[in-house]
Amino acid sequence: MSWMPFKIGQPKKQIVSKTVERDFEREYDKLQKLEDQTKKLHKDMKKSTEADIAMSKAAVKISGDLLSNPLCEQDQAFLESMTALDTAMKRMDSFNQEKVNQISKTVIDPLKKYSSVFPSLNMAVKRREQALQDYKRLQSKVEKYEEKEKTGPIMVKLHQAREELRPVREDFESKNKQLLDEMPKFYHSRIDYFQPSFEALIRAQVVYFTEMHNIFSELTDQIDQAGLTDEQRERENEAKLNELRALSIVADD
Amino acid sequence: MESPLSAESAPPTPAPRNHTPSPSPRAEARELRMEEKERTEEDPIYLSLLSEVSVFVEESAEDASEKAEEKAEEKAEEKAEERAEREAQRQLLATEELVYTERNYLRLLQVCNCTIRSNLQKLQPQLPNLDSMFLYIEEVIDMSGRLLSLLDQKQMTPHDPLFLETLCDAFLSLSTDMESAYKEYLVNYNTVTALENSYKQKDALWTEIVKVIKSSAPEVNAASLSFFLVMPVQRIARYPLLLQTVMKHTEPGHPAYSLLEQTAHTAIALNCRINEYKRFREVADKYKKTETLTIRDKMNRLNSHSIAKKTARLSQFIKHETGIAPKLVDEEFDALEGFFYLLENGITVLHENVETYLDHLQRFLNCRPEEFDLDMDGERPAICYKEIITALRQWILPTFEKRMRTLVHKPLCALRELLAGPRNLISKRLDKLLDYELIEEKPSLSYDEQAVANTYKTINTLLLNELPQFNGLALTLLWGMLGAFSCLHKDLAADMEQLFQGFTQQLPHGSLEPNAFWEWAECSVQEGARRLESLCWNVKDQLNAPIVQPLSPGSQKRLKVLTDKHGSGKIYQLTGHVVGSRDLDLSLNRGELVAIISEMDTRGDKRRWLVDAGGPRGYVPSSRLVRYHQVTMDPPPSPHLITTMDHAGGVRRHSYTPDVRRPSYTPDTPQPLLVRTMSMTVPCLQVLAGYDFRARSSHEVSLRAGEPIRVLEPHDKKGSCDWSLVEVRGQRGYVPSNYLTVMPTSTTPTAPYR
Repeated sequence: MSWMPFKIGQPKKQIVSKTVERDFEREYDKLQKLEDQTKKLHKDMKKSTEADIAMSKAAVKISGDLLSNPLCEQDQAFLESMTALDTAMKRMDSFNQEKVNQISKTVIDPLKKYSSVFPSLNMAVKRREQALQDYKRLQSKVEKYEEKEKTGPIMVKLHQAREELRPVREDFESKNKQLLDEMPKFYHSRIDYFQPSFEALIRAQVVYFTEMHNIFSELTDQIDQAGLTDEQRERENEAKLNELRALSIVADD
Repeated sequence: MESPLSAESAPPTPAPRNHTPSPSPRAEARELRMEEKERTEEDPIYLSLLSEVSVFVEESAEDASEKAEEKAEEKAEEKAEERAEREAQRQLLATEELVYTERNYLRLLQVCNCTIRSNLQKLQPQLPNLDSMFLYIEEVIDMSGRLLSLLDQKQMTPHDPLFLETLCDAFLSLSTDMESAYKEYLVNYNTVTALENSYKQKDALWTEIVKVIKSSAPEVNAASLSFFLVMPVQRIARYPLLLQTVMKHTEPGHPAYSLLEQTAHTAIALNCRINEYKRFREVADKYKKTETLTIRDKMNRLNSHSIAKKTARLSQFIKHETGIAPKLVDEEFDALEGFFYLLENGITVLHENVETYLDHLQRFLNCRPEEFDLDMDGERPAICYKEIITALRQWILPTFEKRMRTLVHKPLCALRELLAGPRNLISKRLDKLLDYELIEEKPSLSYDEQAVANTYKTINTLLLNELPQFNGLALTLLWGMLGAFSCLHKDLAADMEQLFQGFTQQLPHGSLEPNAFWEWAECSVQEGARRLESLCWNVKDQLNAPIVQPLSPGSQKRLKVLTDKHGSGKIYQLTGHVVGSRDLDLSLNRGELVAIISEMDTRGDKRRWLVDAGGPRGYVPSSRLVRYHQVTMDPPPSPHLITTMDHAGGVRRHSYTPDVRRPSYTPDTPQPLLVRTMSMTVPCLQVLAGYDFRARSSHEVSLRAGEPIRVLEPHDKKGSCDWSLVEVRGQRGYVPSNYLTVMPTSTTPTAPYR
């Protein structure tokens, strides 16, 4: 595949045509890129799923810690609000878990399985390359004998060499053909293989966010002041903080 | 990137969707150059030069490596050029996609607004509220029209180098108006869907509507009004992605790059602001009429007295805990202090938890799974996924994060800092209290003691007055933050739901019920796994077929034992590892030799054969067995020819084929001799002398290499195969058998072997 400088043992006859070699390289390149992408996607999906789970658990902790603080017992309305918040967070966490499970089954596992094919494929390509080298070596040997004078021993040697060459050539040709057949097929198979994964990813998100919308709409009605814009909220927060700062018992920085 | 409007026939616009652009002059020149290169390397003159120079290997080694370097450099340059070409083409395609989809979008909106609308208006009975469905569509149509006319005015095509700049300029100049038009449309869209659902309730009416739609736009596969009306919702969200795709294939050095970047950012910011506006309007509209401020009322009730009262319980608690009441027990103060500490704890813990939460959110945002699309950018589900995740990661979640920080994290930080003051003061009061207790009983106090007493009393009073306010304000602040927290989640979910609209229609299985969908998904995944497994097997079996090695001494021994016992016709070889699963199954490695005892098991199953593995006996699957050929020790009935080949040893790798007709190789003597059997059907083989041989006795006859001979007996009087009785040049005598060779006489040497 790469240009070998003046190496003895290279046959003169072109064993594999340039177009075939180029096709082979192109197909193999595509597969190598696919392998790379599959691995990266698998890793990234795992990382993002982990972060997702951690976020959800952190949210549950927020509400859980608040609820367990005796502060809640000081005011009934506050207690009700905190209970509602806690319930909502726990429900969201269980939906999140469900979502993650579904994604695990329909996306992350298939990704892993798909990656596991590549080592065998790479090995097969290596074997083909080995076979090609053998083929070239034996082919050049045959050519060497073919050029010499046709004496008895030479004829014998030539015949032996041809005999040696034949199964090697056939082995290479069969490997070559099979790979040229299989590689594009495998590359194309990714579409059908991964379509359910992508659809499942989307669907899982849709379900999760629909639930989130329902749960938090209810909760917001219960515990939030209605009709506030972000600026209004900021202003209110700042006003309260300033009131606090105005107290003498609060340190002035 | 596919547009969502896929079910169309030939579009009227000039650029057909899947066309490959005609090669630019540069590309064509490259093609020519590549052809030239191919030609020189097969040039006969070049080749003969090659063979001449190959003799002087040492001298040319250096040149060779230099040339190799040059070649490698050239190749790298070529590759870089190729890549740049590809990127330029992709950029072109992405730009064309943007323009093409915009035209299509405009056309369909116009069809909807003009044809469908007028046809619907003719329906009897009149459709209620029909006009509110089309409330802002004209503004959106106008925007799209303006964008395209700005492009058309310049009379450029995407091939033009300045096209990108024109596109970006046009977009940027229209962005303010676009925001106004789209934000109203998006706010109104909820009304649209609600209205459509009300139409769907009446079957007869809905059928009529669908008929009108289908007849007005026959080339589009639409079955509802929302098919058309959702397009602006999708379009505005798609601009960032389209622009970013163009950017992805543009070199940073490109003159229009920074402009492109700016345009992409503007598109994202547009989406954020539109969403914000939508939220604001929804909230305002909902609460315009009813003043449900019960929460506010509740919070306002938290004033100083109520806190002091309500914390009476706490003082009891403290009393019980300490057992002995301190001499100066100020119940009210203790209650306030207790409340303060709980508040402090709550705020601190909340602050930490919120920071943890934001950390994880950031980690989530750092992942970019949408970048690895496995080259599936022609597939609908992959595209939808990419768009959804990009939107989530680029502006929906970042907006959520920003609001979290502004409305929850920042005030929480500030509040936490403010806790220090009261806390310090409370501990100072305690110190002063202890001091005070010591001197309190004294009838008269010295000046210093008086000062101590006053200090304590001042601090105590101050805290008693202000701590309730502090507690109350802090609590309401906290409560407000938590309300905001909930509201942010609600808004996040609403943004995502809006994003999802229209996507589920596009997915092949989007309309399935949840249970049915997950069943289908899991089945497909399992099916995929099965197919993958069988592919793996194929690859392992066929492509990695074991390479025949010369037998190891152990194998040779076993071969001899088995052949002696069972005969050479019964020897088989394992083509793969087998692991026994049932009682009498054997576990063997690939390449091991066995002798067949029976070609079926005791139940008559022909897939399990009973074999002798040179000691253990048991069953192996017959699919893993293949006939093993070796030299026959006993001479066959017909005159058979043994050929010997002088071989310099070494491991020879040949393909292993299970074809029965092929000879296999095995050395059967310690010398590196290879013996081969052939099936003799046609005597078109010729025995020749392989080497010169000088007869050393009268029993022997001399040979000259290459001369034909006739074998009379392939062994000597004692039966040893080392010598053969031959006739040559009319003489008879013995010659060493390994000096003989067989050659086919026909011109196609391989013919007899087939």
